[in-house]
Amino acid sequence: MGISSGPKPFLTVGVLFILLSPATGFSAPGRPRVINCRSPEKETFTCWWEPGDDGGLPTTYALYYRLEGSETIYECPDYKTAGENSCFFSKNDTSLWVDYNISVVASNDMGKSVSEPVEVDVVYIVQPNTPESVMVSVLEDNHGPYLRVDWEKPQSADTRSGWITLVYQLRVKQAKDETWEEYDAGMQKYYNVFSPHSGKEYMVQVRCKPDHGFWSEWTTPVYIQMPDYMPKVRSMWIMVAVISAFLILLFAWTMNVKQNSVKHCLLPPVPGPKIQGFDQQLLKNGKSEEMFNALVIPGFPPTSTYEDLLVEYLEVYDDEKRELVLNEKNLIEGSMKSKSTSSDNDSGRGSCDSRTLLMEKCVDESGTEQELSQYGEASWASSDSEGRDNPASPGLEDGKVQMWPSVFSSPQSHNFQQQHPGGLRASHHSVPEISCVSPQVQTCCGQQDQLEGFQFSKPGLYRYAQMYSMDTIECKHVAQEPQSQSQSQSQSAEYVEVQTVNQENVLLVTPLSNPEGPNPELSDFSGEDYSKVRDVTSDNVLLLQRDLSVSQFVGDYCQDQIGQVDPCFLQQQQQEQTCKLNAHLHHPASALQEDMRLAGNGYVDTTMMMS
Amino acid sequence: MYSVLQGCLGLLFCSIHGLLGSALDCPDRDAGGTRCSISVEKLLDRAIQHAELIYRVSEEARTLFEQMFIPFSFHAQQSHGGHLCTSNIFPIPTSKSEVQQISDKWLLHSVLILIQFWIDPLVELQASLDRYDNAPSDLLNKTKWMSTKLMNLEQGVLVLIRKMLEEGSLELHNNESVTPYLLPTDMVEHVLRDYAMLSCFKKDAHKMETFLKFLKCRQTNRPSCSIL
Repeated sequence: MGISSGPKPFLTVGVLFILLSPATGFSAPGRPRVINCRSPEKETFTCWWEPGDDGGLPTTYALYYRLEGSETIYECPDYKTAGENSCFFSKNDTSLWVDYNISVVASNDMGKSVSEPVEVDVVYIVQPNTPESVMVSVLEDNHGPYLRVDWEKPQSADTRSGWITLVYQLRVKQAKDETWEEYDAGMQKYYNVFSPHSGKEYMVQVRCKPDHGFWSEWTTPVYIQMPDYMPKVRSMWIMVAVISAFLILLFAWTMNVKQNSVKHCLLPPVPGPKIQGFDQQLLKNGKSEEMFNALVIPGFPPTSTYEDLLVEYLEVYDDEKRELVLNEKNLIEGSMKSKSTSSDNDSGRGSCDSRTLLMEKCVDESGTEQELSQYGEASWASSDSEGRDNPASPGLEDGKVQMWPSVFSSPQSHNFQQQHPGGLRASHHSVPEISCVSPQVQTCCGQQDQLEGFQFSKPGLYRYAQMYSMDTIECKHVAQEPQSQSQSQSQSAEYVEVQTVNQENVLLVTPLSNPEGPNPELSDFSGEDYSKVRDVTSDNVLLLQRDLSVSQFVGDYCQDQIGQVDPCFLQQQQQEQTCKLNAHLHHPASALQEDMRLAGNGYVDTTMMMS
Repeated sequence: MYSVLQGCLGLLFCSIHGLLGSALDCPDRDAGGTRCSISVEKLLDRAIQHAELIYRVSEEARTLFEQMFIPFSFHAQQSHGGHLCTSNIFPIPTSKSEVQQISDKWLLHSVLILIQFWIDPLVELQASLDRYDNAPSDLLNKTKWMSTKLMNLEQGVLVLIRKMLEEGSLELHNNESVTPYLLPTDMVEHVLRDYAMLSCFKKDAHKMETFLKFLKCRQTNRPSCSIL
């Protein structure tokens, strides 16, 4: 029913109805509600309402509206077009930028009820229809396939004239996924979706919205199946990986085959030390003596060159004079046993088997036939007497002692004989390293070639050496020494007389040539060329002293002091030269000490250069 | 011949200049500039952007005001006051068919009238809002901004009129007579009045925007204006 008059009389009637029909089981209809009003193209609009309780009676609904600024009430022109419970406003009935006051009235026999009024301005309720003709296709480009989505605007929207401006939005998801990916397409009607996964099925939907309005509904989903493909980049990388794996395998196999040569190339073997005669096995066996003996070169030190030189240092012994006793016994044993017999054989002189004995004996030797057997078990001496260069001299019981003979080999070769009497001699003087404590005793210090093989490996030797040094050691450097009487016998010889052995195991000797007797002071002894054995270290190294000056030395000596001792220099091979007097070198002791270098195995490094 | 050549060169340069979009060189307000100019299309685009922005800000301002000062129950009673905004003052098309029937010239003039109508009321509104105790600064800023932008838009539309219609501007200086017409005298409460003003301004801003967009499509003469 349509009511064209104002609502007031209508309401009155409604109230009357309600009041007049109380208990019939029917009631006035419940209040309807305007749900919403929408305009799809900003030209028409539609309003929908929701009916309330109908109260058991057939109820009719009517929509009334009023325009802004006017009191005229109009009823809905079209209840049909938009469907049930709706009102459609056509273009003629639609005014823009004007507020509509809309309300719905439900009425039945029992009464009426009016809905809440709704203010509507058409331009603000625009919600377009969904886009149309959504099409999805798979296209290819350089980077692979991609999705292209095309659509059309909703037909009702007039974007051509600019009346409505629409913006679009689409969303994509894989068919099995749950979350959508939304993209804003602006005002264009197509969109590219890149990097889809191969072999998957995708769903696409599109919607639109006016510049000021509501979003439309989503279109029905469009399904698209992505073909299977391999990205070019990935296939390239796979190929690269395969080839490189193959190459690596090839390389590894080659390396394995040529293992040794590769190892040789990358890690060249470190050349080991090559010492002639050096046998590692011997060293490993733990017998150093054997090894060191093995190192002895038969022809070393060269003795031939010294022969001439040493000739002058030959000493002829006389039975009456001090006789050097060369004991064949092994010094190393440290026992000065009575090997004097052997030594006697060698030297022809009496030998002192013990130190003490030696001392006693040798205290006064003038005229004694017995020679000072300082040598004790100077097996080396005996071996020297043989005059052989063969380091393995007979009677040597210990390999170590073998060194000695080599030391003396050259000079003694003619000097020493097995037999003594003529004197043993040169053997001592061929102990150049042994420094003479006594100034009178001259030792050749640094007879390099002969010292080379010199080695004291046992304390016994040490003692021996000490004693020996004191005794008639022939020193090569005879030139400087005051030519004492001994020189009359030989140029280098100067014989001393052992006087005492002090605490430090130093033989104190006096030159026999000195008529004064055991006078330690011998000023005329320059002793420059000779060095004294200062000490033998635990490493079996002979430390030689070097006298700064004879007198000084003598003085020190007299006082029974070791005094400042200048270690002797040991010269290394100076083939042409005789053993220089270390004493000549007025080097400070400390320097000498420093300069003294010890080679391994107890050898004194004779590489020091003397000025 | 020489003058023709000169004219052609000048035109060429100007068109190139215009194509390059040297918008900075020729602001909308540059009424005196004759050497270089912006194309009508670009001017329209700018005007449309202005109008869009003004509308958005007015919408936000109105919503803000509504939340702050208008109780919910009042929403339904707005129309009772019957504020008509500008619809009653001068004929403004209210439907698409009406707009389509209006010529370009009249459309532009309509826009201009709307703009000029609102310049002063906005200032008043701003002053009124300042008197509030707890007006949010955001609202005040928006109102200020709208007032400024409206004036800029006026300038742009004047240029447009000059360019498109090649006539002088039609200035409307009788604002004072309009304002009381707009505001119903029985609306004593400042709040309601201000709210009504904001609502009306929002509507009129939308109108401006719609007209300008419509006008642009007509101007481009493209078969489909939806290529915007």
